Amino acid sequence: QEFQFGPCRVEGITLQELWDAFWAIKDIVQAKDNITSVRLLRKEILQNVSDAESCYLIHALLKFYLNTIFKNYHDKAADFRVRKSFSTLANNFVVLLSKLQPSQENKRFSGHDSARRRFLLFQRAFKQLDIEAAQTKALGEVDILLTWMEKFYHL
Amino acid sequence: DGVAVLPPPYNLSVQSTNMKHLLTWSPVSVPGEIIHYFVEYQGEYESLYMSHVWIPSSWCSPAKGPECDITDDITATVPYNLRVRATQGSETSAWSTLKHPFNRNSTILTPPVMEITKDGFHLVIKLEDLGPQFEFLVAYWRREPGAKEHVKVVRSRGIPVHLETMQPGAAYCVKVRTFVKAIGRHSPFSQAECVKVQGETLPL
Amino acid sequence: HLAEDTSDLLQHVKFQSSNFENIVTWDSSPESAPDTVYSVEYKKYGEREWLAKEGCQRITRKSCNLTVETGNLMELYYARVTAVGAGGRSATKMTDRFSSLHHTTIKPPNVTCIPKVRSIQMIVHPTSTPIHTGDGHQLTLEDIFHDLSYHLELQVNHTYLMHLGGKQREYEFIGLTPDTEFLGTIRIFVPTLLKESAPYVCQVKTLPDRTWT
Repeated sequence: QEFQFGPCRVEGITLQELWDAFWAIKDIVQAKDNITSVRLLRKEILQNVSDAESCYLIHALLKFYLNTIFKNYHDKAADFRVRKSFSTLANNFVVLLSKLQPSQENKRFSGHDSARRRFLLFQRAFKQLDIEAAQTKALGEVDILLTWMEKFYHL
Repeated sequence: DGVAVLPPPYNLSVQSTNMKHLLTWSPVSVPGEIIHYFVEYQGEYESLYMSHVWIPSSWCSPAKGPECDITDDITATVPYNLRVRATQGSETSAWSTLKHPFNRNSTILTPPVMEITKDGFHLVIKLEDLGPQFEFLVAYWRREPGAKEHVKVVRSRGIPVHLETMQPGAAYCVKVRTFVKAIGRHSPFSQAECVKVQGETLPL
Repeated sequence: HLAEDTSDLLQHVKFQSSNFENIVTWDSSPESAPDTVYSVEYKKYGEREWLAKEGCQRITRKSCNLTVETGNLMELYYARVTAVGAGGRSATKMTDRFSSLHHTTIKPPNVTCIPKVRSIQMIVHPTSTPIHTGDGHQLTLEDIFHDLSYHLELQVNHTYLMHLGGKQREYEFIGLTPDTEFLGTIRIFVPTLLKESAPYVCQVKTLPDRTWT
Protein backbone atom coordinates (compact mmCIF):
# COMPACT_ATOMS: atom_id res chain seq x y z
CA GLN A 1 0.00 0.00 0.00
CA GLU A 2 1.55 3.25 -1.06
CA PHE A 3 0.92 6.64 -2.63
CA GLN A 4 2.38 7.24 -6.05
CA PHE A 5 2.16 10.94 -6.94
CA GLY A 6 3.88 10.83 -10.30
CA PRO A 7 7.57 10.35 -9.50
CA CYS A 8 6.98 10.64 -5.75
CA ARG A 9 6.37 7.40 -3.91
CA VAL A 10 5.26 7.31 -0.26
CA GLU A 11 4.89 4.23 1.93
CA GLY A 12 3.86 3.85 5.57
CA ILE A 13 0.67 5.84 5.45
CA THR A 14 -2.56 3.94 6.08
CA LEU A 15 -5.35 5.86 4.38
CA GLN A 16 -7.82 4.26 6.77
CA GLU A 17 -6.17 5.99 9.74
CA LEU A 18 -6.58 9.35 7.99
CA TRP A 19 -10.23 8.71 7.16
CA ASP A 20 -10.97 7.45 10.67
CA ALA A 21 -9.43 10.63 12.09
CA PHE A 22 -11.38 12.90 9.73
CA TRP A 23 -14.74 11.15 10.22
CA ALA A 24 -14.34 11.71 13.96
CA ILE A 25 -14.26 15.51 13.47
CA LYS A 26 -16.14 15.97 10.18
CA ASP A 27 -19.54 16.94 11.54
CA ILE A 28 -18.11 19.15 14.30
CA VAL A 29 -15.86 21.10 11.94
CA GLN A 30 -18.18 21.29 8.91
CA ALA A 31 -21.04 22.46 11.14
CA LYS A 32 -18.88 25.47 12.08
CA ASP A 33 -18.46 26.39 8.40
CA ASN A 34 -21.61 28.29 7.56
CA ILE A 35 -20.29 29.83 4.32
CA THR A 36 -21.90 27.16 2.16
CA SER A 37 -21.54 29.30 -0.95
CA VAL A 38 -17.75 29.02 -1.06
CA ARG A 39 -15.67 25.92 -1.75
CA LEU A 40 -11.87 26.29 -1.50
CA LEU A 41 -10.80 23.02 -3.15
CA ARG A 42 -12.94 23.60 -6.22
CA LYS A 43 -13.19 21.10 -9.03
CA GLU A 44 -10.89 23.03 -11.35
CA ILE A 45 -8.12 22.77 -8.76
CA LEU A 46 -8.18 18.98 -8.36
CA GLN A 47 -9.68 17.69 -11.62
CA ASN A 48 -7.51 16.18 -14.35
CA VAL A 49 -4.26 16.66 -12.42
CA SER A 50 -1.49 14.96 -14.38
CA ASP A 51 1.05 12.69 -12.74
CA ALA A 52 3.74 15.27 -13.43
CA GLU A 53 1.78 17.91 -11.52
CA SER A 54 0.55 15.70 -8.69
CA CYS A 55 3.70 15.63 -6.56
CA TYR A 56 4.16 19.41 -6.70
CA LEU A 57 0.49 20.02 -5.93
CA ILE A 58 0.18 17.65 -2.97
CA HIS A 59 3.47 18.99 -1.58
CA ALA A 60 2.20 22.58 -1.74
CA LEU A 61 -1.20 21.71 -0.28
CA LEU A 62 0.17 19.66 2.64
CA LYS A 63 2.71 22.35 3.47
CA PHE A 64 -0.07 24.96 3.49
CA TYR A 65 -2.29 22.79 5.66
CA LEU A 66 0.52 22.21 8.18
CA ASN A 67 1.80 25.78 8.29
CA THR A 68 -1.34 27.82 7.92
CA ILE A 69 -4.37 25.72 8.77
CA PHE A 70 -3.47 23.17 11.40
CA LYS A 71 -0.92 25.38 13.12
CA ASN A 72 -3.38 28.11 14.05
CA TYR A 73 -6.42 25.92 14.55
CA HIS A 74 -4.96 23.41 17.00
CA ASP A 75 -5.24 25.68 20.05
CA LYS A 76 -8.85 26.40 19.32
CA ALA A 77 -9.69 22.70 19.15
CA ALA A 78 -10.91 22.49 22.73
CA ASP A 79 -12.88 19.31 22.18
CA PHE A 80 -10.55 16.50 23.17
CA ARG A 81 -11.78 14.22 20.38
CA VAL A 82 -11.02 16.95 17.85
CA ARG A 83 -7.50 17.47 19.23
CA LYS A 84 -6.74 13.76 19.08
CA SER A 85 -8.01 13.39 15.49
CA PHE A 86 -6.29 16.60 14.60
CA SER A 87 -3.01 15.23 15.85
CA THR A 88 -3.43 12.05 13.81
CA LEU A 89 -4.10 14.00 10.62
CA ALA A 90 -1.30 16.48 11.22
CA ASN A 91 1.32 13.87 12.11
CA ASN A 92 0.45 11.73 9.10
CA PHE A 93 0.67 14.85 6.91
CA VAL A 94 4.15 15.43 8.40
CA VAL A 95 5.16 11.90 7.37
CA LEU A 96 3.74 12.40 3.88
CA LEU A 97 5.46 15.77 3.44
CA SER A 98 8.79 14.41 4.64
CA LYS A 99 8.67 11.62 2.05
CA LEU A 100 7.47 13.75 -0.86
CA GLN A 101 10.54 15.01 -2.69
CA PRO A 102 9.31 16.81 -5.85
CA SER A 103 12.47 17.03 -7.87
CA GLN A 104 13.91 20.52 -7.81
CA GLU A 105 15.96 20.35 -10.99
CA ASN A 106 13.09 19.81 -13.42
CA LYS A 107 10.99 22.66 -12.00
CA ARG A 108 11.24 24.10 -15.48
CA PHE A 109 8.87 21.42 -16.72
CA SER A 110 5.14 22.04 -17.11
CA GLY A 111 4.21 19.93 -14.08
CA HIS A 112 5.52 22.48 -11.66
CA ASP A 113 4.04 25.58 -13.24
CA SER A 114 0.54 24.22 -13.76
CA ALA A 115 0.57 22.73 -10.25
CA ARG A 116 1.61 26.14 -8.96
CA ARG A 117 -1.33 27.78 -10.78
CA ARG A 118 -3.76 25.26 -9.24
CA PHE A 119 -2.38 25.87 -5.76
CA LEU A 120 -2.61 29.65 -6.18
CA LEU A 121 -6.32 29.31 -7.07
CA PHE A 122 -6.78 27.58 -3.72
CA GLN A 123 -4.64 30.06 -1.80
CA ARG A 124 -6.41 33.06 -3.38
CA ALA A 125 -9.82 31.68 -2.41
CA PHE A 126 -8.49 31.08 1.10
CA LYS A 127 -7.25 34.65 1.45
CA GLN A 128 -10.57 36.11 0.38
CA LEU A 129 -12.17 34.85 3.59
CA ASP A 130 -11.67 35.88 7.19
CA ILE A 131 -8.69 33.84 8.44
CA GLU A 132 -10.60 31.85 11.05
CA ALA A 133 -13.50 31.10 8.69
CA ALA A 134 -10.98 30.07 6.03
CA GLN A 135 -9.14 27.73 8.41
CA THR A 136 -12.38 26.12 9.53
CA LYS A 137 -13.51 25.72 5.90
CA ALA A 138 -10.17 24.27 4.77
CA LEU A 139 -10.20 21.80 7.65
CA GLY A 140 -13.74 20.79 6.75
CA GLU A 141 -12.58 20.14 3.19
CA VAL A 142 -9.97 17.53 4.15
CA ASP A 143 -12.42 14.91 2.83
CA ILE A 144 -12.18 16.53 -0.61
CA LEU A 145 -8.38 16.39 -0.32
CA LEU A 146 -8.35 12.76 0.84
CA THR A 147 -10.78 11.75 -1.92
CA TRP A 148 -8.39 13.23 -4.49
CA MET A 149 -5.38 11.61 -2.81
CA GLU A 150 -7.10 8.22 -3.06
CA LYS A 151 -6.64 8.29 -6.81
CA PHE A 152 -2.91 8.02 -6.20
CA TYR A 153 -3.19 5.28 -3.54
CA HIS A 154 -2.35 1.76 -4.62
CA LEU A 155 -3.36 -1.26 -2.47
CA ASP B 1 -0.90 24.58 38.90
CA GLY B 2 -0.36 23.08 42.40
CA VAL B 3 3.05 23.69 43.88
CA ALA B 4 5.43 20.86 42.86
CA VAL B 5 5.99 19.21 46.26
CA LEU B 6 5.27 15.68 45.09
CA PRO B 7 8.30 13.96 43.49
CA PRO B 8 7.84 13.23 39.78
CA PRO B 9 7.61 9.67 38.42
CA TYR B 10 10.92 8.39 37.00
CA ASN B 11 12.39 5.58 34.90
CA LEU B 12 9.90 6.14 32.09
CA SER B 13 10.08 3.56 29.32
CA VAL B 14 7.92 2.10 26.55
CA GLN B 15 7.51 -1.62 25.89
CA SER B 16 5.98 -2.21 22.46
CA THR B 17 5.09 -5.60 21.05
CA ASN B 18 2.88 -6.29 18.02
CA MET B 19 1.79 -2.66 17.86
CA LYS B 20 0.59 -2.61 21.49
CA HIS B 21 2.48 0.15 23.25
CA LEU B 22 2.76 0.29 27.05
CA LEU B 23 4.34 3.25 28.85
CA THR B 24 5.62 2.35 32.33
CA TRP B 25 7.40 4.26 35.10
CA SER B 26 8.60 3.85 38.65
CA PRO B 27 5.73 4.76 40.97
CA VAL B 28 5.69 7.68 43.38
CA SER B 29 4.84 6.48 46.87
CA VAL B 30 3.55 8.56 49.76
CA PRO B 31 2.58 6.36 52.71
CA GLY B 32 -1.15 6.22 53.20
CA GLU B 33 -1.92 8.39 50.18
CA ILE B 34 -3.49 7.55 46.83
CA ILE B 35 -1.42 8.75 43.89
CA HIS B 36 -2.81 9.27 40.41
CA TYR B 37 -0.86 9.89 37.23
CA PHE B 38 -1.57 11.99 34.15
CA VAL B 39 0.00 11.09 30.81
CA GLU B 40 0.32 13.42 27.84
CA TYR B 41 1.84 13.04 24.37
CA GLN B 42 2.93 15.12 21.40
CA GLY B 43 3.76 13.86 17.94
CA GLU B 44 6.38 15.21 15.60
CA TYR B 45 3.86 17.76 14.29
CA GLU B 46 3.26 19.21 17.73
CA SER B 47 6.93 19.26 18.64
CA LEU B 48 7.89 20.85 15.29
CA TYR B 49 5.05 23.34 14.83
CA MET B 50 3.73 24.04 18.34
CA SER B 51 5.92 22.62 21.06
CA HIS B 52 3.73 24.08 23.83
CA VAL B 53 0.90 21.72 22.83
CA TRP B 54 0.55 18.43 24.66
CA ILE B 55 -2.46 16.14 24.31
CA PRO B 56 -3.92 14.13 27.23
CA SER B 57 -3.64 10.37 26.72
CA SER B 58 -6.90 8.64 25.86
CA TRP B 59 -6.89 6.21 28.78
CA CYS B 60 -4.62 7.72 31.41
CA SER B 61 -6.02 11.05 32.42
CA PRO B 62 -5.76 9.94 35.17
CA ALA B 63 -4.17 6.50 35.58
CA LYS B 64 -4.17 4.72 38.92
CA GLY B 65 -1.10 2.56 38.45
CA PRO B 66 2.42 3.17 37.10
CA GLU B 67 1.58 2.19 33.52
CA CYS B 68 -0.45 3.43 30.58
CA ASP B 69 -1.61 1.78 27.34
CA ILE B 70 -0.80 4.46 24.80
CA THR B 71 -1.69 2.34 21.75
CA ASP B 72 -4.70 4.49 20.79
CA ASP B 73 -2.66 7.67 21.08
CA ILE B 74 0.14 6.64 18.72
CA THR B 75 -1.60 7.00 15.35
CA ALA B 76 1.21 7.96 12.98
CA THR B 77 4.66 6.58 12.26
CA VAL B 78 6.52 9.55 13.71
CA PRO B 79 8.51 10.09 16.94
CA TYR B 80 6.25 10.83 19.93
CA ASN B 81 7.28 12.66 23.09
CA LEU B 82 5.59 11.35 26.25
CA ARG B 83 5.40 12.80 29.74
CA VAL B 84 3.88 11.81 33.09
CA ARG B 85 3.19 13.63 36.31
CA ALA B 86 1.81 12.48 39.69
CA THR B 87 -1.02 14.03 41.62
CA GLN B 88 -2.19 13.55 45.17
CA GLY B 89 -5.22 15.58 46.04
CA SER B 90 -4.37 19.12 44.97
CA GLU B 91 -0.66 18.48 44.95
CA THR B 92 0.97 17.95 41.59
CA SER B 93 4.49 16.83 40.72
CA ALA B 94 6.62 18.22 37.93
CA TRP B 95 6.39 16.54 34.54
CA SER B 96 8.76 13.69 33.83
CA THR B 97 9.48 13.21 30.10
CA LEU B 98 10.52 10.04 28.25
CA LYS B 99 14.21 10.41 27.47
CA HIS B 100 14.00 9.28 23.83
CA PRO B 101 10.90 9.87 21.67
CA PHE B 102 8.99 6.68 20.83
CA ASN B 103 8.25 5.65 17.23
CA ARG B 104 5.89 2.74 16.59
CA ASN B 105 8.14 1.43 13.85
CA SER B 106 10.34 0.10 16.66
CA THR B 107 7.64 -2.28 17.88
CA ILE B 108 8.71 -5.93 18.32
CA LEU B 109 6.86 -8.20 15.89
CA THR B 110 6.63 -11.79 17.13
CA PRO B 111 5.91 -14.86 15.01
CA PRO B 112 2.13 -15.35 15.18
CA VAL B 113 0.49 -18.25 16.98
CA MET B 114 -1.31 -20.58 14.57
CA GLU B 115 -3.40 -23.75 14.93
CA ILE B 116 -3.46 -26.21 12.05
CA THR B 117 -6.31 -28.74 11.80
CA LYS B 118 -7.93 -30.74 9.04
CA ASP B 119 -11.48 -31.66 8.20
CA GLY B 120 -11.54 -34.46 5.68
CA PHE B 121 -9.38 -33.21 2.83
CA HIS B 122 -9.58 -29.58 4.02
CA LEU B 123 -6.49 -28.01 5.57
CA VAL B 124 -7.71 -25.44 8.10
CA ILE B 125 -5.73 -22.70 9.87
CA LYS B 126 -6.68 -20.57 12.84
CA LEU B 127 -4.66 -17.41 13.58
CA GLU B 128 -4.61 -15.24 16.70
CA ASP B 129 -6.39 -11.88 16.55
CA LEU B 130 -3.72 -9.16 16.61
CA GLY B 131 -5.98 -6.32 15.52
CA PRO B 132 -6.89 -4.56 12.28
CA GLN B 133 -3.36 -3.40 11.42
CA PHE B 134 -2.13 -6.97 10.86
CA GLU B 135 -2.18 -9.14 7.77
CA PHE B 136 -1.00 -12.75 7.86
CA LEU B 137 1.19 -14.16 5.11
CA VAL B 138 0.59 -17.91 5.18
CA ALA B 139 3.10 -20.09 3.30
CA TYR B 140 2.17 -23.74 2.71
CA TRP B 141 3.58 -26.54 0.64
CA ARG B 142 3.19 -30.22 -0.01
CA ARG B 143 5.95 -32.10 1.78
CA GLU B 144 7.71 -33.75 -1.12
CA PRO B 145 10.91 -33.00 -3.04
CA GLY B 146 10.67 -29.92 -5.26
CA ALA B 147 7.28 -28.95 -3.95
CA LYS B 148 6.20 -25.37 -4.74
CA GLU B 149 5.51 -23.01 -1.85
CA HIS B 150 2.14 -21.25 -2.00
CA VAL B 151 1.47 -17.97 -0.20
CA LYS B 152 -1.92 -16.66 0.85
CA VAL B 153 -2.77 -13.36 2.59
CA VAL B 154 -5.26 -14.04 5.35
CA ARG B 155 -7.08 -11.25 7.14
CA SER B 156 -9.64 -13.27 9.09
CA ARG B 157 -8.65 -12.90 12.70
CA GLY B 158 -9.39 -15.51 15.32
CA ILE B 159 -11.65 -17.51 12.97
CA PRO B 160 -10.60 -20.89 11.50
CA VAL B 161 -10.16 -20.58 7.74
CA HIS B 162 -9.84 -23.16 4.97
CA LEU B 163 -6.40 -22.97 3.43
CA GLU B 164 -6.26 -25.79 0.87
CA THR B 165 -8.03 -28.94 -0.31
CA MET B 166 -5.40 -31.66 0.19
CA GLN B 167 -4.64 -34.67 -1.96
CA PRO B 168 -5.23 -38.07 -0.30
CA GLY B 169 -2.14 -39.51 1.40
CA ALA B 170 -0.08 -36.32 1.03
CA ALA B 171 1.50 -34.34 3.89
CA TYR B 172 1.26 -30.55 3.97
CA CYS B 173 3.35 -28.06 5.95
CA VAL B 174 2.42 -24.51 6.94
CA LYS B 175 4.25 -21.51 8.38
CA VAL B 176 3.03 -17.94 8.85
CA ARG B 177 4.29 -14.44 9.53
CA THR B 178 2.59 -11.10 10.06
CA PHE B 179 2.83 -7.89 8.04
CA VAL B 180 1.99 -4.45 9.44
CA LYS B 181 1.12 -1.97 6.70
CA ALA B 182 1.46 1.13 8.86
CA ILE B 183 5.16 0.50 9.50
CA GLY B 184 5.91 -1.68 6.47
CA ARG B 185 7.51 -4.48 8.48
CA HIS B 186 7.14 -8.30 8.75
CA SER B 187 7.52 -10.55 11.77
CA PRO B 188 9.78 -13.61 11.61
CA PHE B 189 8.09 -16.79 10.34
CA SER B 190 6.52 -19.11 12.86
CA GLN B 191 7.77 -22.66 13.27
CA ALA B 192 6.40 -24.81 10.43
CA GLU B 193 3.70 -27.37 11.27
CA CYS B 194 2.79 -30.36 9.11
CA VAL B 195 -0.30 -32.54 8.82
CA LYS B 196 -1.06 -35.61 6.80
CA VAL B 197 -4.44 -36.51 5.46
CA GLN B 198 -5.89 -39.22 7.70
CA GLY B 199 -2.94 -38.72 10.01
CA GLU B 200 -2.05 -36.62 13.13
CA THR B 201 0.11 -33.50 13.20
CA LEU B 202 3.65 -34.65 12.50
CA PRO B 203 6.68 -33.30 14.34
CA LEU B 204 9.13 -31.56 11.98
CA HIS C 1 -38.35 40.60 21.00
CA LEU C 2 -37.42 37.00 21.61
CA ALA C 3 -37.35 34.73 18.54
CA GLU C 4 -40.19 32.22 18.83
CA ASP C 5 -39.04 28.59 19.44
CA THR C 6 -40.14 26.62 16.37
CA SER C 7 -37.89 23.58 16.88
CA ASP C 8 -40.97 21.42 17.34
CA LEU C 9 -41.86 21.96 13.68
CA LEU C 10 -38.68 20.47 12.24
CA GLN C 11 -35.97 18.08 13.51
CA HIS C 12 -33.25 15.71 12.26
CA VAL C 13 -33.05 16.98 8.68
CA LYS C 14 -30.59 14.62 7.00
CA PHE C 15 -29.67 12.67 3.91
CA GLN C 16 -30.10 8.91 3.87
CA SER C 17 -28.41 7.15 0.98
CA SER C 18 -28.30 3.55 -0.13
CA ASN C 19 -26.80 2.42 -3.47
CA PHE C 20 -26.83 6.13 -4.45
CA GLU C 21 -30.57 6.51 -3.86
CA ASN C 22 -30.40 9.80 -1.94
CA ILE C 23 -33.40 10.70 0.22
CA VAL C 24 -33.76 13.69 2.53
CA THR C 25 -35.77 12.87 5.63
CA TRP C 26 -36.88 14.87 8.65
CA ASP C 27 -39.03 14.69 11.75
CA SER C 28 -41.28 16.93 13.72
CA SER C 29 -42.23 16.65 17.35
CA PRO C 30 -45.49 14.92 18.28
CA GLU C 31 -46.98 18.25 19.39
CA SER C 32 -46.60 19.83 15.96
CA ALA C 33 -49.82 20.22 13.97
CA PRO C 34 -50.58 17.52 11.37
CA ASP C 35 -51.29 20.11 8.72
CA THR C 36 -47.73 21.40 8.75
CA VAL C 37 -46.37 21.63 5.19
CA TYR C 38 -42.77 21.25 4.10
CA SER C 39 -40.74 22.61 1.18
CA VAL C 40 -37.34 21.32 0.12
CA GLU C 41 -34.45 23.13 -1.55
CA TYR C 42 -30.96 21.94 -2.45
CA LYS C 43 -27.67 23.26 -3.80
CA LYS C 44 -24.08 22.29 -4.50
CA TYR C 45 -21.52 23.14 -1.85
CA GLY C 46 -19.73 26.23 -3.12
CA GLU C 47 -22.69 27.68 -5.00
CA ARG C 48 -24.80 30.57 -3.81
CA GLU C 49 -28.28 29.79 -5.12
CA TRP C 50 -30.75 27.39 -3.51
CA LEU C 51 -32.94 25.49 -5.96
CA ALA C 52 -36.48 24.41 -5.14
CA LYS C 53 -37.08 20.70 -5.56
CA GLU C 54 -40.06 20.19 -7.81
CA GLY C 55 -42.52 17.76 -6.29
CA CYS C 56 -41.42 18.55 -2.75
CA GLN C 57 -43.04 21.96 -2.28
CA ARG C 58 -45.67 22.34 0.49
CA ILE C 59 -45.84 18.57 1.02
CA THR C 60 -47.08 16.89 4.20
CA ARG C 61 -44.89 13.77 4.01
CA LYS C 62 -41.47 13.86 5.72
CA SER C 63 -39.14 12.71 2.98
CA CYS C 64 -38.06 13.81 -0.46
CA ASN C 65 -36.10 11.95 -3.13
CA LEU C 66 -33.14 14.03 -4.34
CA THR C 67 -31.36 11.22 -6.17
CA VAL C 68 -31.32 12.94 -9.54
CA GLU C 69 -30.44 16.34 -8.17
CA THR C 70 -27.51 15.05 -6.11
CA GLY C 71 -26.23 12.59 -8.68
CA ASN C 72 -22.80 14.09 -9.46
CA LEU C 73 -20.30 11.95 -7.59
CA MET C 74 -17.62 14.65 -7.59
CA GLU C 75 -19.88 17.23 -5.95
CA LEU C 76 -20.93 17.87 -2.37
CA TYR C 77 -24.44 19.04 -1.59
CA TYR C 78 -26.66 20.65 0.99
CA ALA C 79 -30.43 20.37 1.29
CA ARG C 80 -32.69 22.43 3.48
CA VAL C 81 -36.30 22.04 4.55
CA THR C 82 -38.72 24.78 5.49
CA ALA C 83 -41.70 23.81 7.62
CA VAL C 84 -44.76 26.08 7.82
CA GLY C 85 -47.24 25.28 10.58
CA ALA C 86 -50.48 26.66 11.85
CA GLY C 87 -50.61 30.39 12.26
CA GLY C 88 -47.72 30.88 9.83
CA ARG C 89 -45.12 29.63 12.29
CA SER C 90 -42.11 28.40 10.28
CA ALA C 91 -38.69 26.80 10.71
CA THR C 92 -35.85 26.09 8.29
CA LYS C 93 -33.10 23.55 8.84
CA MET C 94 -30.18 22.39 6.67
CA THR C 95 -28.57 18.96 6.31
CA ASP C 96 -24.90 18.31 6.97
CA ARG C 97 -22.65 18.55 3.92
CA PHE C 98 -23.45 15.48 1.83
CA SER C 99 -21.23 13.44 -0.47
CA SER C 100 -23.04 10.46 -1.95
CA LEU C 101 -19.71 8.78 -2.70
CA HIS C 102 -18.83 8.69 0.98
CA HIS C 103 -22.22 8.53 2.61
CA THR C 104 -24.05 5.94 0.54
CA THR C 105 -24.35 2.52 2.12
CA ILE C 106 -24.16 -0.54 -0.09
CA LYS C 107 -26.99 -3.05 -0.16
CA PRO C 108 -26.28 -6.78 -0.20
CA PRO C 109 -25.34 -8.07 -3.66
CA ASN C 110 -27.75 -10.12 -5.73
CA VAL C 111 -26.38 -13.68 -5.89
CA THR C 112 -27.42 -17.07 -7.25
CA CYS C 113 -26.14 -20.03 -5.20
CA ILE C 114 -26.08 -23.33 -7.15
CA PRO C 115 -25.39 -26.50 -5.14
CA LYS C 116 -23.68 -29.45 -6.85
CA VAL C 117 -22.48 -32.82 -5.44
CA ARG C 118 -19.06 -31.73 -4.14
CA SER C 119 -19.16 -28.01 -4.73
CA ILE C 120 -21.30 -24.89 -4.56
CA GLN C 121 -21.22 -22.32 -7.35
CA MET C 122 -22.01 -18.68 -6.63
CA ILE C 123 -22.81 -16.14 -9.35
CA VAL C 124 -22.85 -12.48 -8.35
CA HIS C 125 -25.08 -10.26 -10.49
CA PRO C 126 -24.09 -6.63 -11.16
CA THR C 127 -25.86 -3.98 -9.10
CA SER C 128 -27.20 -1.09 -11.13
CA THR C 129 -27.46 2.40 -9.61
CA PRO C 130 -29.51 5.50 -10.47
CA ILE C 131 -26.30 7.22 -11.61
CA HIS C 132 -25.99 7.83 -15.35
CA THR C 133 -23.10 9.08 -17.48
CA GLY C 134 -23.48 12.13 -19.67
CA ASP C 135 -24.58 9.97 -22.59
CA GLY C 136 -27.28 8.28 -20.51
CA HIS C 137 -25.43 5.03 -19.76
CA GLN C 138 -26.60 3.64 -16.40
CA LEU C 139 -23.68 2.87 -14.06
CA THR C 140 -23.26 -0.21 -11.88
CA LEU C 141 -21.46 -0.21 -8.54
CA GLU C 142 -18.49 -1.81 -10.32
CA ASP C 143 -18.37 1.10 -12.76
CA ILE C 144 -18.31 3.60 -9.89
CA PHE C 145 -15.93 1.90 -7.46
CA HIS C 146 -12.80 0.82 -9.36
CA ASP C 147 -11.46 -1.15 -6.38
CA LEU C 148 -14.77 -2.92 -5.68
CA SER C 149 -14.37 -6.59 -4.86
CA TYR C 150 -16.55 -9.44 -3.61
CA HIS C 151 -15.85 -11.37 -0.39
CA LEU C 152 -17.43 -14.82 -0.19
CA GLU C 153 -17.44 -17.07 2.85
CA LEU C 154 -18.78 -20.58 3.27
CA GLN C 155 -19.29 -21.81 6.79
CA VAL C 156 -18.39 -25.50 7.05
CA ASN C 157 -20.19 -27.44 9.83
CA HIS C 158 -20.05 -24.40 12.11
CA THR C 159 -16.32 -24.83 12.73
CA TYR C 160 -14.43 -23.04 9.99
CA LEU C 161 -14.79 -20.78 6.99
CA MET C 162 -13.80 -21.16 3.39
CA HIS C 163 -12.89 -17.88 1.69
CA LEU C 164 -13.06 -16.81 -1.91
CA GLY C 165 -12.90 -13.30 -3.28
CA GLY C 166 -11.95 -11.03 -6.10
CA LYS C 167 -13.38 -8.85 -8.85
CA GLN C 168 -14.86 -11.60 -11.02
CA ARG C 169 -18.53 -12.61 -10.68
CA GLU C 170 -18.34 -16.40 -10.72
CA TYR C 171 -16.95 -18.46 -7.85
CA GLU C 172 -17.03 -22.12 -6.81
CA PHE C 173 -16.29 -23.65 -3.42
CA ILE C 174 -14.90 -27.13 -4.15
CA GLY C 175 -13.95 -30.22 -2.18
CA LEU C 176 -17.21 -30.31 -0.21
CA THR C 177 -18.99 -33.24 1.35
CA PRO C 178 -22.10 -34.39 -0.58
CA ASP C 179 -25.61 -34.07 0.90
CA THR C 180 -24.48 -31.53 3.52
CA GLU C 181 -25.82 -28.11 4.63
CA PHE C 182 -23.62 -25.05 4.12
CA LEU C 183 -24.15 -21.35 4.90
CA GLY C 184 -22.82 -18.89 2.33
CA THR C 185 -22.39 -15.13 2.88
CA ILE C 186 -21.39 -12.73 0.13
CA ARG C 187 -20.42 -9.08 0.65
CA ILE C 188 -19.38 -6.17 -1.56
CA PHE C 189 -16.20 -4.50 -0.37
CA VAL C 190 -14.73 -1.10 -1.37
CA PRO C 191 -11.41 -0.82 0.49
CA THR C 192 -10.37 2.75 -0.25
CA LEU C 193 -13.72 4.13 0.93
CA LEU C 194 -13.88 1.63 3.79
CA LYS C 195 -17.30 0.46 2.55
CA GLU C 196 -18.66 -3.01 3.14
CA SER C 197 -22.20 -4.12 2.27
CA ALA C 198 -24.48 -6.10 4.48
CA PRO C 199 -24.19 -9.79 3.54
CA TYR C 200 -26.30 -11.71 1.07
CA VAL C 201 -26.89 -15.06 2.78
CA CYS C 202 -27.75 -18.37 1.13
CA GLN C 203 -28.33 -21.66 2.91
CA VAL C 204 -27.66 -24.55 0.52
CA LYS C 205 -27.29 -28.30 0.65
CA THR C 206 -24.89 -30.17 -1.64
CA LEU C 207 -26.55 -32.88 -3.75
CA PRO C 208 -26.39 -36.51 -2.70
CA ASP C 209 -23.63 -38.54 -4.39
CA ARG C 210 -25.47 -41.12 -6.53
CA THR C 211 -22.35 -42.39 -8.32
CA TRP C 212 -22.39 -45.86 -6.74
CA THR C 213 -26.15 -46.29 -6.24
